[in-house]
Amino acid sequence: MPKSEGRRNFAKAIVAIAAVLSIVPFVPWGTYLSSSVSSTGAYKRQKVVVDDNPQYGAAAGQTVNVNDLTTFPPDSHWVVTYPTSGSLTQDTQNPDTFVKYELIRLPAGSPFNGDTKDAVAFVAFSKVCVHLWCSPNYNPAQGHEQYECPCHGSIYEIPDGLAKGGPASQQPPPTNAIPMMTLTADPDGTLNIEPPVWDVNHNGVLGYGRYYTSYESYIKPEAEGSA
Amino acid sequence: MAQTQTAQPPKRNLISKLYHWITDGLQRTVYMGIQYTFPKRFVSPLGYLGVLTGIVFLVLGVTGGALMIYYQPTLSGCGSLTCAFSSVARINNSVPFGWLLRNIHYTASNAMVLLAVLHMYYQYFSGRFKIKNEVLWVTGVIFGVITAVEAYSGYDLIFNQRAGLAIEIGSSLANASPVIGGALRLATFGAGFSDFILRLYAAHVFIFPMIMLLLVFLHFPRYLVFDLPVVSAVVGALFIVAGLFPVGLGVQYSPSSPTLTIPEWYLTAIYALLRTEFDKFVMGALMPGLLILMAIVIPFVDTSKKLSWKDRPFFTALGITSIAEILVTTAWGFYINPNTSLPTLSRLLVPPSLYFSSMIGVAAVSFLLTYSFLHYIKSRERVRTAAAPLGPILTRKWVFVIFILLILSQVALNGLAVAAMSQGLRNMALFDVGAVLVAFGIIAHLYRFSQTLPF
Repeated sequence: MPKSEGRRNFAKAIVAIAAVLSIVPFVPWGTYLSSSVSSTGAYKRQKVVVDDNPQYGAAAGQTVNVNDLTTFPPDSHWVVTYPTSGSLTQDTQNPDTFVKYELIRLPAGSPFNGDTKDAVAFVAFSKVCVHLWCSPNYNPAQGHEQYECPCHGSIYEIPDGLAKGGPASQQPPPTNAIPMMTLTADPDGTLNIEPPVWDVNHNGVLGYGRYYTSYESYIKPEAEGSA
Repeated sequence: MAQTQTAQPPKRNLISKLYHWITDGLQRTVYMGIQYTFPKRFVSPLGYLGVLTGIVFLVLGVTGGALMIYYQPTLSGCGSLTCAFSSVARINNSVPFGWLLRNIHYTASNAMVLLAVLHMYYQYFSGRFKIKNEVLWVTGVIFGVITAVEAYSGYDLIFNQRAGLAIEIGSSLANASPVIGGALRLATFGAGFSDFILRLYAAHVFIFPMIMLLLVFLHFPRYLVFDLPVVSAVVGALFIVAGLFPVGLGVQYSPSSPTLTIPEWYLTAIYALLRTEFDKFVMGALMPGLLILMAIVIPFVDTSKKLSWKDRPFFTALGITSIAEILVTTAWGFYINPNTSLPTLSRLLVPPSLYFSSMIGVAAVSFLLTYSFLHYIKSRERVRTAAAPLGPILTRKWVFVIFILLILSQVALNGLAVAAMSQGLRNMALFDVGAVLVAFGIIAHLYRFSQTLPF
């Protein structure tokens, strides 16, 4: 190869490398797409307030207290909104299931101990099924006591939110467990949602799933600083 | 006298002068490369189905732009689920002519997908995709895929139950992609319904149409047939179909109270594949991807110099097989077990053993029938004598009589359209307007025909 041709090829290679280097810095810009209009509000610690829906009777619009076994009896369920818009009416009317969570007070007695006056008596599951984004409901009936999706029959067990039946259970991890919130109780019994970490190793990704871990990891024994 | 007349340049009136001044000026632009040919006589539209697809794309652009004025993907204080549906309902029910525009847009979207598919198969069977047209073919396949995705992103924006199903399946397919699943879902659909609707809206009204416009430059051949009579008739037919088969609003999507729905017909085959309940990603993305890949490589496999479908028995049979299999799969997609006592999932199940054996059966039958049909026509082939050219069918007098009748029918149809609108018969009005356009197509064709007659 003549020397001049080698120089020419070298110059071409420089241009090619320069072109690649000029494109590379834009690759991380792709994360522009990973934000969300739903999450413009900051994720703060929030008191758990039941949506003001008449079907919830005495619990409608109430702040959940773990000591109140009358208004919030075991083996019951309500829908809560997180993050709140600040207005209970607006939250209740918001149909976006990506801000909705099913708050379940577990059945009383062993093994779930839903009559415990503590945050461990509660779980909060995402209202978005990881199969096809439908909206599951808790079924309190004896022998069921599970989180069931009406669309294609995915079934999540309590209290861990792992799919044990239906199409969601056939999906590979992390798409086989429903995202869930971390709950804590104040000394006066007020139940709180802790700021979630939206990834598959923590609270999960809504409409996608999380790596299954036992629900104890979502319960903090006491709110920090309250001891 | 006659000699001096022929020597003179043709006399141009003011309008003609202006027209030529503009077209001469345009010769200095990129449009010089696109030589539209206005055929002097009727030619088969099969050869320019691509141009007709492009015309329908223009109809979609015009009506879509108009719909954007009242469509609200999301608003502060208005949940996205409610906003999208209620704004479409408003366009449908109270905006003047909104119903007509929406129906034209919907029918045109179906027509564009259908015309693109027909265009592809005509090019395939006529062998035009081969030999130096490989790049046009490949960009065409990509164009077709983007057309389907564009149509998909459009019907999701309504947020009715059918849109909900499409959103759910689309997002779950993205979720199911290996390794990048979660990130891909987040990038394309976002983290909720508000995100989703804004993203798909941006994609539907800007990103995909821009890609399609760019693809026009890479896909349109240098010489196009622009036949005004046929274009007018096709657009008119579109209006007529939209008037005869108006699309409803459907039921508003609600994640908590789902109903069983079926996607639009061009996605029903994928729906059937998913319902075999094998791996979601394999059935929903890899299988259609395989078909697209096959379409892309076909000009590099079918490299013979033979063009006619009669001379390429294997590839003709392959094309017939693909049509038959798509039709059968689509039919599966439309079938839901009517026994409501069964659980939803079993009602939706497309039994895999039955489905895949039917696919093998369809392939065998298609090949067998194609080969025997080709054998049959080869055995009967004989030299065709050129048909004697037909004399003029109509005389000048009759042309003018039909002209007058058509103009009168246009006047009458215009009146009927106005009357129908005032009575609230919107589909009747749309039908009438379509008929006006078809009548214009016939007039334009008759004008062209009359140019061949002695005046």
